[in-house]
Amino acid sequence: MSAGTALSLSGVTKHFGGLTAVDGVTIDLKSRKLNAVIGPNGAGKTTLFNLICGEIPADDGRIVFNGRNLVGLKPHQIVRHGISRTLQIKSVFGGMSVADNVRIAVLTNRRIMAPFSPVQSFRGVTARANEIIEEVGLAVHYDDLASTLSYGDVALLELALALAAEPRLLLLDEPVCGMGPEETERTVATIKEISRRIDVVLIEHDMEVVFDIADFIVVMAQGAILATGTVADITADPQVQEAYLGPPEDD
Amino acid sequence: MTAAYARALAIAVLIVALLAVPFVLPAFGATFWVSIATEILIWSLLAASVNLLLGYVGLLSFGQALYFGIGMYGVALSINAWNVGFWPALAIGIVAASVMALLTGVFAVRLTWHYFAIITVVFSLIFYFAAMSMKGVTGGDDGVSFSPPPVLKLGELELTLVDATTQYYVVLGVVLACYVLTALIVNSPLGLAFKAIRENDRRAALIGINVYRTRLIAFVIAGALAGTSGALFAFFGRYASASYMFYHVSGEAVVWAIVGGAGSLLGPLFGAGALIVFRELVSTLWEHYLIAVGAITICVVMFAPRGLAGAWNDALRLAFTRIPDEPARRDAFDRRNASEGGEAAAIIEEKR
Repeated sequence: MSAGTALSLSGVTKHFGGLTAVDGVTIDLKSRKLNAVIGPNGAGKTTLFNLICGEIPADDGRIVFNGRNLVGLKPHQIVRHGISRTLQIKSVFGGMSVADNVRIAVLTNRRIMAPFSPVQSFRGVTARANEIIEEVGLAVHYDDLASTLSYGDVALLELALALAAEPRLLLLDEPVCGMGPEETERTVATIKEISRRIDVVLIEHDMEVVFDIADFIVVMAQGAILATGTVADITADPQVQEAYLGPPEDD
Repeated sequence: MTAAYARALAIAVLIVALLAVPFVLPAFGATFWVSIATEILIWSLLAASVNLLLGYVGLLSFGQALYFGIGMYGVALSINAWNVGFWPALAIGIVAASVMALLTGVFAVRLTWHYFAIITVVFSLIFYFAAMSMKGVTGGDDGVSFSPPPVLKLGELELTLVDATTQYYVVLGVVLACYVLTALIVNSPLGLAFKAIRENDRRAALIGINVYRTRLIAFVIAGALAGTSGALFAFFGRYASASYMFYHVSGEAVVWAIVGGAGSLLGPLFGAGALIVFRELVSTLWEHYLIAVGAITICVVMFAPRGLAGAWNDALRLAFTRIPDEPARRDAFDRRNASEGGEAAAIIEEKR
């Protein structure tokens, strides 16, 4: 893993029965850049994230982060190494307030599991949680149950949970999926802001968003990497055009 | 704030009422009800152990009677074998139940939902039949009896469980201590981790919670609660019997927890209280009173799914809460940040 690499994958493979969902993926994702993974449905993007986070074990290959092979570690251990993620189907703690959602994430990050002191007594934790809540723009929903939030706000809360793990690498699975134009704009701005201090890899179907913010794009198709490069490289690549638009026609 | 005051007031009233039981009930000629009240307190801890798992961690156990039974035998056997005093015997019962919960929990908490419910039943049945067949040690169905040592001996003063009032206060003290400890736990970072796992175990793992270990901790604490309940019940009945390890007993605790309100700290006390009083009043008149218990349970699940305590909390919330508009919420957030003390506000300012 060379300097400037956020995450290094080599030969990462996952089979589901006869289907090869991720097929020998080898790539170095760039540090200090906003990486995007794109590709048609079923290309293996989310499976790749699941492999990185340890939610499903890789059949083969190495996933090296910060000089350490992550393959074989459990999800909670991988978070502690500094990789956190959001899910395609937004996932938060529905029956808890926004504040408690973020607090438990901060408490866990700080390894605080004290059984007899009230949560409120950890002031530094509350301060950090408030700061994150402010950053993602959920201050007005501080006391609301997460289950009462709009879909866009749930996505923001999930982002807050991922940030509370103080990651060095953030994996975002379709962060603006299901958001209205205004929310999308706000969220994209937040992600851009975050990517200045944390390495970000995002999966996104909204090409406008990807082309707007991504510095480095990885195109996947059928479990393998089809192309990598900048926005200009990708849009000019005939293979990518074919994967997305079908074979070229004469006009 | 007012809802919090109302809740604090209600708890104060409840504690005063519990303290007054041995004076008030005999005054109405209902001395017998003091021992019913004692029994309610004891059984409520078994329901509390179900509630900790179901209401706070999201695991439905149908096997808590196992730890109740171990608590009973811990007391009975240690008194018979080593002639230990009241408090050591109580401690042995609780520790034995916790150890059993740890040994079985290592396997059980790998599972969730119905698989977890089934494995807890299976464990309790295995040890039920084992205890039934080891008649030499456990006395099987007949159980083993013992004579309870004095609770306290200070020169002339000797407190024993023979006196119903003393027995009630000893039980009340232990039970209240258990509720206070549980309250501290569920409001602590550990308790918040329990709730996070209850709400979404996948996300809990993704923020870095060791879900397995946290569930195991909860399972052991629940085992300790059930063990305390069993240990107290052994003192109350002056015997221990394998029949209390049957899953029927576990099931009753689940019903009390659900009717009382899973996820509310005092729900189990209300649930056990309401249904045991109901049993005492109706079972002498109608032998099939369990049909009515079933009907009550179904009604509660349908109309007050968070149980009696949940309905009470909802009523408080309706009576006292108004939903502030957005600017007011913004203000509240800023004020809170400011009032977190210089420390928190300073950290935020600094980072900005």
